[in-house]
Amino acid sequence: MAKEYPVGRMEDLPEGSHFIVRAANREIGVFKIKGEYHAIPNLCPHQRGPLCSGAMSGTIDYGPHTEWKLSWIHDGEVITCPWHSLEFHVPTGQCIAFPKIRLRKFKVRVADGELRVVV
Amino acid sequence: MDRKGHKPIAAEQETRSPARDTLETTFIVDADVHVHESPTEMAEYATDPWDVALREIGKVDERYLDLPGMSPRAEYRTPFPGGSNRPQIVTSAGAMRAELSQLHVNLAVLFPDHLLFLAMVRDPLFAVELARTYNAWLYERWLTEQPTLKGALVIAPQDPEAGAEDIRRYAGKNEWACVYLPASGVRPLYGHHFYDPIYEAAVETGLPVCIHSVEAVYPTFPFQLEVFQTSMAQHCIAHPFAMMANIVSMIETAVPVRFPDLRIGIMEAGVTWVPFIINRLDKEYLERRREVPLLQDRPSHYIREWYFGTQPIEEPERRGDIVKIFDLFDGSNRAMFASDWPHHDFDHPQYVFGLPFSPEARKNIMGGNAARFFNFDTPNEVTSG
Repeated sequence: MAKEYPVGRMEDLPEGSHFIVRAANREIGVFKIKGEYHAIPNLCPHQRGPLCSGAMSGTIDYGPHTEWKLSWIHDGEVITCPWHSLEFHVPTGQCIAFPKIRLRKFKVRVADGELRVVV
Repeated sequence: MDRKGHKPIAAEQETRSPARDTLETTFIVDADVHVHESPTEMAEYATDPWDVALREIGKVDERYLDLPGMSPRAEYRTPFPGGSNRPQIVTSAGAMRAELSQLHVNLAVLFPDHLLFLAMVRDPLFAVELARTYNAWLYERWLTEQPTLKGALVIAPQDPEAGAEDIRRYAGKNEWACVYLPASGVRPLYGHHFYDPIYEAAVETGLPVCIHSVEAVYPTFPFQLEVFQTSMAQHCIAHPFAMMANIVSMIETAVPVRFPDLRIGIMEAGVTWVPFIINRLDKEYLERRREVPLLQDRPSHYIREWYFGTQPIEEPERRGDIVKIFDLFDGSNRAMFASDWPHHDFDHPQYVFGLPFSPEARKNIMGGNAARFFNFDTPNEVTSG
């Protein structure tokens, strides 16, 4: 049964920032990216590194989705694990390097200016 | 991006140890961690005029493993934003002890940062002074400070006699775990008779030798890596090829025959190439034994006595494949867990611990083999600091 956990106020999370909270016995990274709230586990599936203590950026990519041009994509939407630099696209949870790896995403609800993570 | 349609993976369930032992209850020796040299502090241990040079180097801003005067790198990696934001240096014994305790490491062997590039220092006098000064600094500021941190005594390959002198200077000091032979850019390779004084001193003082490389582009085999475009390619090749080159060199001049009591360790090159080079050498020996008459048996007979650091351990999709590869070089008895903390490609002990080894092999790999190789106290006598 999913529960809602209050994790802070909207004003605690300005655009482009993120923080780590503890909810339901897990560490969860909560992000505000382009006006949307996102939450993912603070746990890299590679060697269990503290993923959400990493830095946000975009990344380099090349393929059909970039019309076969070397491109800087997802600016401000990619978190890099501080342990071994594995990159994840936060809005989708998708690992950039490994197509089969996608992080679990938690819903973030806003109620009366309060951010609540649904776990 | 067209990367949809895949089932989410619960990160929390990714890595579980199949054994009842845990990291906390296991004796862990970390065979390879790195200290960050302070040129200014080292200057206090240097002789005239090198103290002046070290203080000058200390005024320069440095980047990761990149310090003009000590480890200048021709680094052409394009600087896009992002990447790891983790500090990848440790500057004091206290900080190292605290960080290794987080990794549940009981004992660790300290290798340098900038002096990984020592073999490429042009001026042999400066190279010798860097090694001697580093050893004095490490001994006083780290090893006597934290008894669970053991030192790899650096020698400058440019002057083996000076290296032998430094090894003998510390004879009987159990703060040292081994002699470190820098492999990146080294010429000649470590099988050459030029290095015999180092091996004589190591045997005489009971210290093993450990060969350790680092990624570099340099006009010496196998570091002519300018043929590649990316750091991925250069780093992939630099470590294991350097180890293979030095192993082949040491076998062709029969180092293990000439120095039968010399204990040899191979660090930071992963392990999957080890069965290849052993079998390749055995095959060559079969046909060309006349060229290496000092060898009294096939190369594998000697190499199976050597020890191998695990890091950066390969990570195949089927994790059991690693166990099969370990079996091909007796890794259960010869592999030593190494984290390479705090470097960019460090291995967390949980990963190696969680591989599907037998409980006995796991204990050996996490600490028992290294304790035997480095002649460390047994687990019952050790507590993490």
